[in-house]
Amino acid sequence: MRFNDAVIGVVLMVVAVAIILYAQTFPAFPGQDYGPSLFPTVIGAALLVASAVLVVRGVVMRRGTAWAYFAPWTREPHHVVSIALVLLAVVLYIFVSDAVGFLLSSFVILATLFIWLGVGWRLALVVAIATTFVIDWFFGNLMRVPLPRGILNLIS
Amino acid sequence: MDAVATAFGLILDPYVLMVMGLAAVFGIFVGSIPGLTATMATALLVPVTFFMEPVPALAAIVTATAMAIFAGDIPGALLRIPGTPASAAYTDESFAMTKKGQAELNLGVNLVFSALGGLVGTIVLITAAPALAELALNFSSFEYFWLACLGLTCAVFIAAEEPLKAIISLLIGLFVATIGIDPAAGFPRFTFGVVDLMAGVSFIPAMIGMFAVSEVLRGVVDLQGIGRPTQERIGNIFRGVGPVCVRYWKNFVRGSAIGTLVGALPGAGADIAAWISYAVSKRFSKEPEKFGTGHIEGVVDATSANNSALGGAWIPALVFGIPGDSITAIVIGVLYMKGMNPGPTVFLQNPQFIYAVFISFILANLLMVPLGWLAIKSSKQVLNVPRNLLLPIILMFCIVGSFAITNSVYGIVIMLAAGVLGYLMEENGFPVAPAILGLVLGEMLEQNFMTSMIKSEGSFIAFFQRPIAGVLGVVTLAIWALMIWRGLRRTQAVTA
Repeated sequence: MRFNDAVIGVVLMVVAVAIILYAQTFPAFPGQDYGPSLFPTVIGAALLVASAVLVVRGVVMRRGTAWAYFAPWTREPHHVVSIALVLLAVVLYIFVSDAVGFLLSSFVILATLFIWLGVGWRLALVVAIATTFVIDWFFGNLMRVPLPRGILNLIS
Repeated sequence: MDAVATAFGLILDPYVLMVMGLAAVFGIFVGSIPGLTATMATALLVPVTFFMEPVPALAAIVTATAMAIFAGDIPGALLRIPGTPASAAYTDESFAMTKKGQAELNLGVNLVFSALGGLVGTIVLITAAPALAELALNFSSFEYFWLACLGLTCAVFIAAEEPLKAIISLLIGLFVATIGIDPAAGFPRFTFGVVDLMAGVSFIPAMIGMFAVSEVLRGVVDLQGIGRPTQERIGNIFRGVGPVCVRYWKNFVRGSAIGTLVGALPGAGADIAAWISYAVSKRFSKEPEKFGTGHIEGVVDATSANNSALGGAWIPALVFGIPGDSITAIVIGVLYMKGMNPGPTVFLQNPQFIYAVFISFILANLLMVPLGWLAIKSSKQVLNVPRNLLLPIILMFCIVGSFAITNSVYGIVIMLAAGVLGYLMEENGFPVAPAILGLVLGEMLEQNFMTSMIKSEGSFIAFFQRPIAGVLGVVTLAIWALMIWRGLRRTQAVTA
């Protein structure tokens, strides 16, 4: 997704104004002119100016081009689903890994992505299982990262 | 000298050597696969090195990045796709040589001069860093404030193509750095009551997101991007390298010097070093018309430059805590995690760690020749690893790695947000490196400003009253003035 600079500029200007306004609610530092609000305000102001320039430049240089440009792959449903699946996989992991556990979440995510991206299902399952166990062994055992056990808790 | 002996002892430990060996293989693999960068190798390594002692952790990063920057040349020559952005400057030249049947010579020159360039960067690092550290011992919050300003300015100044977008990227990074407890008054900013955000945006997951997850997102829609190597069999790569050394030694010296310098400037790393030195090589060549037709001269300059930039980037990182490139930005995060806060005092308190970094740099560049030879020989297999298997595995690695840093899904949330942001930024032509620099330097900037203001009781003049601070301040303001002037002229040219 590519946008005309003006579109991005407008979004950034809104963000900048929000930063500045919100920063004004920060309490002042007793006996000091410079408090917690100083840096966010300065950064917000600079962002406001820079994105305003971006808007002007975007409008001047537009010359009839579209406000937003979608790369050719966005018209191919397969690719759109690919990106969506990657994002969904991470979101899913964030929400269910604690309850389901690392082993099952990792296996499902890997196997789904492999098969969707065109790996043969037999190879996909084998690599998904192998990768899951290697990561579990390496991070879980060797590095002592407390990977969520999830459903394993029910068994033992 | 005791510290040097200790450092040798630390590095020549079998465990450390094994870690370096594995890191080297990992670096070569990541570097030679197009789309996977040296920065990504570092970001993925950090969770792995999280529980190691400082020396093997740093040695692993040094080794992996050195190998990755060299290995990026391999697909450049064989597929016309740079393995890492650092090889992009001379990919066309290398591929033109391959088409002329000179793939062996090209790869041999890339390997030998990568190693030599890396050694030059290391030597400069070894000589310059301790001397600068001695100077930096006298620095106070005033000098550090200006240094941070200069570092941020460099990031924008060097990105000459789109300075405005670089500035915006930088501001985004600086803003993200203000999230969390503020350094002076202890007030939670922009946390919206979320406890996890109080400690700020965790840096390593953000890097993993920006440099690895965004690549995965780009990669899954472009699985067929890679063709087959044009040349399947690789002969003796070292034949003909000798005469090139004799003929183009000046190019090597110049390329390494430019590379080290560019590397040491904050915000510019191996990729920009290669572009600049390639351009310089063409500009001063006796036969500029041969450039682009498969001529080895520019390759010598550029391949030396990108490896020497790695060493150069560690100079400001170790001495001032200001990263020279995005790799050392991660390294600074690692140093803090290991309790060795970068700065001149590390050179006094833990000189053995600093020397250990130096030694691992030398060792890595020596190891590069045999391992690089093996990598070139097995390039056919490495380049054929299917991407549809690789990308999901990398994604899983990112998830677990980010989790490992915070021990909670909070790390994964940051990774995802940074990944999407990084993807959208790159798609729209905003460079990511300035945002990273802003994120790293934001707190340093604010902390030193606030400390200085408290010391000077609110007088801004104090920022110019100490000699070094004054010079740094004037230089910074002069560069800003120059940038605004250039920007105005450019706008006039566009609107006119």
